[in-house]
Amino acid sequence: MSETLETVDTSYEAPEAIDTWSGGQDPMGISYGKTMMWYFLLSDAFTFSALLIAYGATRVSKPWWPDPNHVFNAVPGFHGMHLPLVFVSIMTFILILSSVFMVRAVQEGHRMNKNGVLVWMALCIVGGLAFLGCQAIEWTHLIHQGLTPQFNPFGKNAEGLTEYGYMMVDGVRVWNESITPGPSTFGALFFGITGFHGFHVFSGVCFNVWGFSMAANGAFDKRGHYEMVEKLGLYWHFVDLVWVFVFLAFYLL
Amino acid sequence: MGAHMDDATYKKDVSTVWRVTVILSIITIFEVAIAMLHIYSPGFQAICPRIVLNIIFIIASIGKAFYIIAEFMHLRHEKKVLIVSLGVPLIFLVWAIIAFMHEANAWNHMKTLGGFGQ
Repeated sequence: MSETLETVDTSYEAPEAIDTWSGGQDPMGISYGKTMMWYFLLSDAFTFSALLIAYGATRVSKPWWPDPNHVFNAVPGFHGMHLPLVFVSIMTFILILSSVFMVRAVQEGHRMNKNGVLVWMALCIVGGLAFLGCQAIEWTHLIHQGLTPQFNPFGKNAEGLTEYGYMMVDGVRVWNESITPGPSTFGALFFGITGFHGFHVFSGVCFNVWGFSMAANGAFDKRGHYEMVEKLGLYWHFVDLVWVFVFLAFYLL
Repeated sequence: MGAHMDDATYKKDVSTVWRVTVILSIITIFEVAIAMLHIYSPGFQAICPRIVLNIIFIIASIGKAFYIIAEFMHLRHEKKVLIVSLGVPLIFLVWAIIAFMHEANAWNHMKTLGGFGQ
């Protein structure tokens, strides 16, 4: 029986190219699941790019745009102080650190170290939740200032407006450019894009909680590998990657 | 998949992660620092106009993206065929950005110079 198989094996020599792509192999050097995760992330990158390009095109097409250093200048606990970039920098660090914790979880998974995976994934989940909390605080603050998807209170001087671009002069309503509301798409783009990113963070946290419970129940030990943690990691790093560009487009530029 | 790593590789990988963490943190601190400098220092505003600052921000962000993709997502250590198949489609984005920014600039000119009001 085994002799017959051996003669069959040696008599057939497939060309290299056909051998790689004819099935039963991993031509990309990674598993099917990880390959598909990569291509999903590529498609998601196009979605985010489309949103950010729409934002960029809208912004460039306007004669002026609200100054981010005036719009995003609040930090919880420092009421009334002008602190541009501070809060969003903290958010950026939280997300970077969360991403780092995820890499450590993947590395512990390579060593089949269940407790290591659990500790780092727990920290990663806490980071994700902290980021979502920060975003909730920021959104609440901006909504209280009057920013909605239809109305942008940040005029040329980036002050909050109470009335729509008019002021009373001797009992007459006069259009005043310095208190004219900003481009109305600002709120729609801000809430839309940071919201879509926040939705990714939220779903990533949910997936990570699921992965954490699978790991805690020993499901990955039973499988003999922690590849699921790698796939969750790819998604989580992508969320961090998108934030780099959201941070650039909304806060730095 | 699931192969046990030897200790030397593990230690090297862990030190790489912390090194990349430090690099990402330094780039972010650098970005925020020059942004603050630009807000509060008129001298810095004079030597570094807004357009230069923006170019620095964009390059720094692409640098951060590179480290996240290459090291955190491990793409640098994957097969070339995967890297190429993910990288080539992104060329479309380069064109999309150029085309849309050019057109948006034209819209802006139409509004401000073409008499459509703002």
